[in-house]
Amino acid sequence: MADMEVDGSPKTTQAELATKEPTAVASNKSDSKIVRPRIEIKKWNAVAMWAWDMETDICAICRNNNMDLCIECQADQDSTKAEECNLAWGICNHAYHFHCIARWLKNRHTCPLDNREWDYQKFGR
Amino acid sequence: MASTVTRRLLRELQDIQREPSEELVSLAPTSDDDILRWRAVLRGPQDTPYSGVCFEIHIEIPEQYPIKPPTLTFVTPVCHPNVHFETGEICLDILKTQWSPAWTLTSTCLAIHVLLANPEPSSPLNCDAANLLRCGDTLGYNSLVSLYAGIYGRRLPDP
Repeated sequence: MADMEVDGSPKTTQAELATKEPTAVASNKSDSKIVRPRIEIKKWNAVAMWAWDMETDICAICRNNNMDLCIECQADQDSTKAEECNLAWGICNHAYHFHCIARWLKNRHTCPLDNREWDYQKFGR
Repeated sequence: MASTVTRRLLRELQDIQREPSEELVSLAPTSDDDILRWRAVLRGPQDTPYSGVCFEIHIEIPEQYPIKPPTLTFVTPVCHPNVHFETGEICLDILKTQWSPAWTLTSTCLAIHVLLANPEPSSPLNCDAANLLRCGDTLGYNSLVSLYAGIYGRRLPDP
């Protein structure tokens, strides 16, 4: 940003530097008036986002979001079962709540979304 | 188990109200106190002898839904190779062996809509309709279908 300034006023440059490189301001202090930086950073918070690496974010079996509990555990959040409401991925990378896919696999051993033979790839929460 | 099916169906109902399908005139439980019985009214697909009228389908949902498929039957008599003319039974693999819990009531009804436009004469429930198609008599098939659609098909609601 600093080299984009066209007027080249030292005041601006210094103020900008003050927020970026405090040491550079200190060395320049002697040959100019003390310039208060226009913006001083008092505190900053870093925010990070994460999401599962998967093709679908809704569990196709119960239609709840995969980040939420499955439809059964959602109704009974305090149960010990709900604490273990994990996600399960198939080798096709489709993800479902473990409770949901386990219920379906007793019926037919295929992925509900692509109809291919199901095999667990990983579990997680 | 019963409450799981209720919650899933309520969610589907919300989705239907939020995003209704053009092919469906209506899709809702038949009464407020029984969520396991639904009624669908399907628009006859465009450019087929079914177009211009609509068809009522009754849907029975088992307690194990969506692990087990719903049962769909035509209430309106339909002349179609894969629909039993008297009982309304529908022959479609996804309603039986190829069912997957990823289907919803909406997508299942849309599959029926597609079936109306794409009959499968090799597994018929209505041999007369299937035979016309199998011997290549498209003209005869189309006129038979539109004759019955005209007699039994429901009037479309006014736009």
